[in-house]
Amino acid sequence: MEPALPPAHDPLADEWLVVRCQLGERPAFDELIQRWHQPLWRYARHLAGNDAAADDAAQEVWLRVLRGIGRLRDGAKLRSWLFGIAHRVLMDRLRDQYRRPLAADAGLELEEQPADDSAPTLEFEIAAMLEELAGLPAVEREVLTLFYLHELPLDEVAQVLTVPVGTVKSRLYRARKLLRHQLDIRGVQP
Amino acid sequence: MNPAHLSSLADRELSAKARFGHVLLLLAALAMSTVVGSLCLTEPTLPARTRGAFAALTGIGLCWAAYAAWVLSSRRVLLAFQQVVAARMAVGFCAMALAGAAAVGVGHGIAAAWAAAAAFAALLLAAILLLVRARRRLRRLMARRDELERQLRGVRVS
Repeated sequence: MEPALPPAHDPLADEWLVVRCQLGERPAFDELIQRWHQPLWRYARHLAGNDAAADDAAQEVWLRVLRGIGRLRDGAKLRSWLFGIAHRVLMDRLRDQYRRPLAADAGLELEEQPADDSAPTLEFEIAAMLEELAGLPAVEREVLTLFYLHELPLDEVAQVLTVPVGTVKSRLYRARKLLRHQLDIRGVQP
Repeated sequence: MNPAHLSSLADRELSAKARFGHVLLLLAALAMSTVVGSLCLTEPTLPARTRGAFAALTGIGLCWAAYAAWVLSSRRVLLAFQQVVAARMAVGFCAMALAGAAAVGVGHGIAAAWAAAAAFAALLLAAILLLVRARRRLRRLMARRDELERQLRGVRVS
C-alpha cells in the first residue's frame, strides 16, 4: 500500500473551485473531482478496509458533495467539509464496528495523558504505520489517517469528526499508544 | 472507481434538463392547484361530489408542488446561473397566469378568476423576490470568482 499523498493545501484554489461550482460551471466539477478524489478514496480505503467498499463509499461521498456544494458557505474550508462528509458516510457504514470494544477496553494502560497542547509528532515511519493501521479499531484508524496521512491540522480534524480538539488529542494519544503496542508485539521498533 | 466514472456521475447529477423539468413541474402544479382551488372556494352551486373532487385535485397539485420543491432543495439543488433562469421562468409563468386570470375575470365576471388572479399575484411577487435574490447571489459569486482569479494569478506570477 502506498502512502497517501495529500494535495498541496491551497484554500484560495479550493475556494475558487467551490465558487465556480456554485455558479454552475460544469468543468469546475471535473477539476474538483480530479483534485480531491484520490485523497478521499484513500481515506475511505483506510477506514473501509478494501477497495470495493472504498469505491462504494467514495461514490456516496461524491453524490453528497454534488448535491451539497451549492450550500457550502465558506469555500476555503472545502477540505474539512469534504472529509466531514466522508467521515459521516464511513461512520454510517462502520456503525457495526463501532459497537466493538474500543481501544480503551483493550487492557492498555492509558492513564498517561499528553503533557502539553502541542501537536503530536510523527513517531513511526509511514510504511510501518500503514501496515499496522488496518488492524486498529475504526475510531483510532480514522484519527491517525486524517492527522498523519492527510496532514490535517488538529482543528480541521476536530471539524471533520465534529468533536472538540481536546478529544482529537486524546484519541490521537490513544491511537498512537495502541499502534505502538501492536508494533511492540511484532517486535518492530518505533 | 476513477475520475471518469465520477465525471459521468456528475453529468447525471448536474443535469440541467432534470432541474428545469422540476421547476416546470412546480409551476404547473401550483397553477393547477390555484385554478382548481379557486373554483372550489368561489363556486357556491357546485355539487358536493364535485367540490370534493376539486378539493382532492387541489391537494394532489399541492403534493406535486411540495415534491418538486423538495427535489429542488435537496436532490437537484439549483446552482447560481440556474437559479436566475428558474426565477425568470417563474416570473414569466406567474405573469402570464395572472394576465389570463385577470382577463377572464374582466371578460366574464367569474369570481373564481379573481381569486385565482389574487393567488397568481402573490406568486408573482414571490417569484420577483426570488429573482432579485438569485441575481444578487450570482453577482456576488461572479465578483468573488474574479477576485480569486486575480489573487491566484498574483500568487503564480510571484
